[in-house]
Amino acid sequence: MNQSDGKKLDPGRQVWILVVLGMVCIGLEVVVHFFMRTAIGYTHIFYILLILAAVWYYRKALFVAIALVAATFITSLAVGDFNWATLLRAAMFLVVTFIVAWISEERDRGRLEIVAQKEAIEKEHYALVGYLSEITLRIKNPIKILRDNLLAIRMEFDGKIPDIDIVKMELSTQLAHAEQILSNFQELNKDVVEEHTEIPNAYRDFLTR
Amino acid sequence: MAIDFSRLGEDKLFLVLSSADMLKKNNAHIIQTLVGRGYRVVVITTNQPSAVLKKHYSTDGIDISRVSFIDAITKYALGKIPPGQENCRFINSPSNLTDLGIAITEVLNSLAGEKTCLLFDSVSTMLIYLPSTNISKFIHFITSKLRLVDAAGIFLAVEKGLDPLLLTQLTTYVDGTIDMDVQQPGNTGIGGQ
Repeated sequence: MNQSDGKKLDPGRQVWILVVLGMVCIGLEVVVHFFMRTAIGYTHIFYILLILAAVWYYRKALFVAIALVAATFITSLAVGDFNWATLLRAAMFLVVTFIVAWISEERDRGRLEIVAQKEAIEKEHYALVGYLSEITLRIKNPIKILRDNLLAIRMEFDGKIPDIDIVKMELSTQLAHAEQILSNFQELNKDVVEEHTEIPNAYRDFLTR
Repeated sequence: MAIDFSRLGEDKLFLVLSSADMLKKNNAHIIQTLVGRGYRVVVITTNQPSAVLKKHYSTDGIDISRVSFIDAITKYALGKIPPGQENCRFINSPSNLTDLGIAITEVLNSLAGEKTCLLFDSVSTMLIYLPSTNISKFIHFITSKLRLVDAAGIFLAVEKGLDPLLLTQLTTYVDGTIDMDVQQPGNTGIGGQ
């Protein structure tokens, strides 16, 4: 995982922002520290660069922090004010960058997990809708057709004696339809049972019998 | 009942929706209308054996010499072919789309040059035997075949018996949809002509 999926800024613009901020930081280091001979205050600007880099590029931002630490050390040694405060400042650059990078990484990992879970739920939902749709198409509606066909056969007896051979043929056809509907139902049950391993064996056997 | 096939000729392929209880009667009305218009009709039946349909057509006074059958249910449901079945080709099962496709192609080729219309009875019954995706592909195959030989085609289906996706697909394959349970405005009804 390199970058946050939730970010709005495009990667090109992020790089430009970091480059500009980096140049500002180096400029401050040179102008304020090297020429004005003071190491107070301006380094707070560095945190903007470090935090943004850590949010966007996670632990890779440590390279930026190391670069800033190096710049601070070089100017401190050149100016001659290298002391415990310089070391503390450098340590803070690294620690803050690491913490922000870690939090960003965890946050985005969590976000990706939620997205993956959501997709899995949606997939199951679509599968359920598909199953119900197929059940309706291949079982409920055919049963309605079967019922209406049987009703039509029954109506042939109203007021007259129908051709028995024709009625036998019609009933045999409806019987074949009914057998196929039953077979479809068993097939769909089998598919469900095979897909859901959590169904106990007794029910598995009952559903596919 | 008047059936509005006034555009038959300009448009070739229709999806006809009917309530389940009227399916058999509507089938006979459509055949009557088509034969009356001089069509040679090929009935693909998956819902009723051709012998039963022939009997009904004869009762309704339809000239069955103008009607051929591709029967996909008799062999499957009865296990044998009743004697005296002319103008009829039998398929082992409604799910045997390969044989059904070959039979349709052969029958359409044998009727080349005649004013032919194919009646598919019914898409809804096919759903008992096949998944909707296979049916959609098969109907697409038939409609393409019909367009190639410049024949008309009517696909009967039970109203509300098709899921929205299948209905949309079938609608795109045909030139028009007729709901036989809805009184259409300006219905001249060729049944009454």
